[in-house]
Amino acid sequence: MDELLRDFIVETNQHLEEAATQLVLFERDPTDASLIAKIFRLVHTIKGTCSFLGLTRLQHIAHAGETMIGELRNGAAPTQTSVTVVLAAIDRIKQIVEDVERNGVEPEGDDTEMIKQLDAQAAILAASLKGEAPAEAAPASAPAATVEAAASAPVEAAPVAAAPVAPKPAAPKAPAPAANKGSAPANARSSETIRVAVDAIERMMQLVSELVLTRNQLLELTRHRQDDTVKSPLQRLSSLTTDLQDAVMRARMQPVERLYANLPRLIRELATECGKKIDLITEGADTELDRQLIEILRDPLTHMIRNSADHGLEGPAERAAAGKPETGEIRVAASHEAGQITITIADDGRGLDIEKIKKKLVANGTASEAELAKLSEDEIFKFIFAPGFSTAKTVTNVSGRGVGMDVVRSNIESIGGSISLQSKLGKGTKFSMRIPLTLAIAPALIVEASGQRFALPQHAVVEAVGVGQNSGHVIDKVQNALVLRLREEVVPVIDMSEVLGLAESEHDNNEQLVVIMRVGGESFGVIVDKVADVQEVVVKPLSASLAHLKVFTGHTILGDGSVVLILDPGGLAMSIGIEKSGDKKREVKKDNAAADKTRLVLFRAGEGAVKVLPVSLIARIEMVEPSRIEHADGRLTMIHQDRLMPLVPVGSTHFDTSRSYPVLVITDGDLTVGLLVDEIVDIIEETLDVQLSSGGYDTIGAAVIRGHAVEFIDVTSYLQGVASSMTRKKPTSRSQVLLVHNDAFAREFLSPMLAAAGYRVTAASSGKEALNFIDQGSQVDAVVTSTELGEVSSNELVTAVRRNHLMREIPVIGLIGEEEADNDADTTELTMRVQASDRQSLLSALSSTLKAMRRAEKRSASKSNNEEAA
Amino acid sequence: MTTATAAAIPAAKRSISEDISTLTVVANGEVFGLPIQTVQTIFRISSLAPVPMGPPDVAGLVNLRGKIVTAVSLRRRLKMENDLVETNALAIGIEHKGEYFCLVVDRVGEVLALDESKKIPIPPHFDPERLRLTTEFYRIGSMLIPVLDVGALFDFAK
Repeated sequence: MDELLRDFIVETNQHLEEAATQLVLFERDPTDASLIAKIFRLVHTIKGTCSFLGLTRLQHIAHAGETMIGELRNGAAPTQTSVTVVLAAIDRIKQIVEDVERNGVEPEGDDTEMIKQLDAQAAILAASLKGEAPAEAAPASAPAATVEAAASAPVEAAPVAAAPVAPKPAAPKAPAPAANKGSAPANARSSETIRVAVDAIERMMQLVSELVLTRNQLLELTRHRQDDTVKSPLQRLSSLTTDLQDAVMRARMQPVERLYANLPRLIRELATECGKKIDLITEGADTELDRQLIEILRDPLTHMIRNSADHGLEGPAERAAAGKPETGEIRVAASHEAGQITITIADDGRGLDIEKIKKKLVANGTASEAELAKLSEDEIFKFIFAPGFSTAKTVTNVSGRGVGMDVVRSNIESIGGSISLQSKLGKGTKFSMRIPLTLAIAPALIVEASGQRFALPQHAVVEAVGVGQNSGHVIDKVQNALVLRLREEVVPVIDMSEVLGLAESEHDNNEQLVVIMRVGGESFGVIVDKVADVQEVVVKPLSASLAHLKVFTGHTILGDGSVVLILDPGGLAMSIGIEKSGDKKREVKKDNAAADKTRLVLFRAGEGAVKVLPVSLIARIEMVEPSRIEHADGRLTMIHQDRLMPLVPVGSTHFDTSRSYPVLVITDGDLTVGLLVDEIVDIIEETLDVQLSSGGYDTIGAAVIRGHAVEFIDVTSYLQGVASSMTRKKPTSRSQVLLVHNDAFAREFLSPMLAAAGYRVTAASSGKEALNFIDQGSQVDAVVTSTELGEVSSNELVTAVRRNHLMREIPVIGLIGEEEADNDADTTELTMRVQASDRQSLLSALSSTLKAMRRAEKRSASKSNNEEAA
Repeated sequence: MTTATAAAIPAAKRSISEDISTLTVVANGEVFGLPIQTVQTIFRISSLAPVPMGPPDVAGLVNLRGKIVTAVSLRRRLKMENDLVETNALAIGIEHKGEYFCLVVDRVGEVLALDESKKIPIPPHFDPERLRLTTEFYRIGSMLIPVLDVGALFDFAK
């Protein structure tokens, strides 16, 4: 393409953008003559260049536009229609320029309609000018053609003329375009700037990085030398290099102004579309940031402003009713803080309605009301950034198409930034984006895995924790997947060497680091051998032949000259199946907020349904190699923590020596037993609703979890089996205890304790449930119940139990709270009352009352025998 | 850090009437030709960063005076045995489709002038995999020199 043409295109695009902005500003403040003069000049320049280059279509439109703008410059008051027409003309010019850029020639097309409109507007304006200020009409000297046209459209002109705008005295003097040169400081500035191709700057950047490396090498070489003749010039070289690096970085920077440039027009369009009055205030236009970032921020910013205008600001009537000025305000501000840029978008609208958000969250199943009640306002506001969230009642043309703030958030996060919001009902909403100054340079952790180094972008890193024998954290292997328990959270973990298919490193796995990362609200850990360094790295994109590698975003050269690949946190997350899906997020959120959910281990053991055990009962899950398992005394055992631990296959698990087995280690007092199972299916958090059954020997009952029936394992039977065989006793028939307690925690605490003491435990979560159990004819040997059952009193329960003649004599032990210790007034038929917190008393009470009952039974049995004999 | 052992060879302008010059390179004892105008620089690789999960023929990434260059092993590309890429290996810097590559070879030979008269038809019984990477065959004295196709060498499209 012609050099001249290329220059024209670049220049014209800039002029057009500027003209559109100025025009919108002029519409708001028609008294500012300098604005319209500037617009006129811009359009005039475009027209001139077009005719010079032979771009006739452009020239004609520009000419018609110029004529019309000329009327404005002459003092005519702008109407909304006239501004819209000019904006449309600017769009058309832009379109044609784009085509010229692509093809080198003007596209075919017909602009007569547009030119007609422009001419008509010019005529209307001219007429209004005449009607209002005939004295000034003469210097305006509108072309004869437009005057004629004005005559044909006097009706339209009438309301315009009514606009009480007095043209400034300066306006009529404006016709001499040359005279305006001095009044434009922007012009003066532009003479001091030159246009540089981006490639040229990138090349400089590259050379500077190389220079920095060389400097570092030199410094390293001379560090131990006491040679002052070299030292001082080297010192200067060093500081100059730093300055140069800084200067080149700065050359890449552009003022945020570029981002602001098309906002006035956007606001104007939004105001019309939404029927609202909106003022735009921009601050910190001279804040500079990397040109690449400016492009990336454009869309999110536009989206957020649309949101503010559409959802945030109220209509004029509503505002007036709320005692606010009719015109709403959107304030966009940029500032530079501690190596980051903060951009805020604030409106003075209605603010976020927390009740509305809550309702919406409940309605779409994101969270329950109980869960929401626990969250603070800010935490609830954060749901705005969740996928598929929109509080607007109706989907409007402007915003609210389902893709919303979540997209904005992920855009911002992808460049290492963050977004937050504050809102006050009736006062307004303020979004704050914090973004790094540049993408080209980012702090990164240099990590090592299997002897290779990689860079992990620091923006995604939360923390690094040591794992291994000497640190508190342990990585568990569950179903071939690694998990790390970290402060009550289970974090999925991947091994970097494994993900990247690196050769196994030789060093022992005792001391490793897990780098915890967060991507799109999900945490995961990456196992590395060590974190070698934290460095600012110059990010360079991967070459095309390697770009398909999703786990890397780019590469860089470190201070020592070596090349390292930069890992993509998002790509890593994807490699373990974490995606930025909303469903998953919702699920996690729900789990955390849920009150009486139990963490459960699902596993397969032999035939039949999936088995389940609460995590609370399991001390540890281990993958055990067959070589560690020994046959001793006809039973399976293994060494666990320097002690011999019996292993019991659960259900019909068949042990063969060809593979490893997961072992669930269960401890109770001195007794430790390992349950050998086929495989761990999952660890989940669910409400466990066990349907009691007196089913098999080793199951308590069945439950439905996520639509599948599972069997709830009775740990006691295994513990008991081991305990009795260890003491060489034959298994005794065990007493069945019904445990009734409202409190899930108490149940979970007491069941294993009773189970470990050798009882078979059936737990009921309420008096009603216990009554049902008894009414069904189920038999128990003893009842342990809370005395505060709520709707069914413990007395009623006792009565019900006693009604069953088989259970007339069984002990019923009441668990009482601390404060009721001496309250004897309440006469109950409880066999005994024990403090709930005193576990030893409970056990001894249970065993003594049961023994007493057995003796009584025996006595009565022998008595009846005697009677029969008599 | 990488040190250039030879000055960049100025790219010769391609002209049909001129003799076609080729730089001979050796991999596993076999001699190949590289069109001289594609060769930008010859250097020794002092450190190589492997690319996990990358194409197997890519030996790694090299820092060539501040440029990150993708190193492709000629031995691996030609499916030769003993394909370990040692550090300090010789590499030939070549730009292809805007990307920087270098071809890791065992040895660099001399620059030979080739002309049409020395061109021979492609022997039909050669390994098609290898033929995919070569453009022409020339006979210089007793030597048969296959000229490598730079485009095919650095094309990793699946």
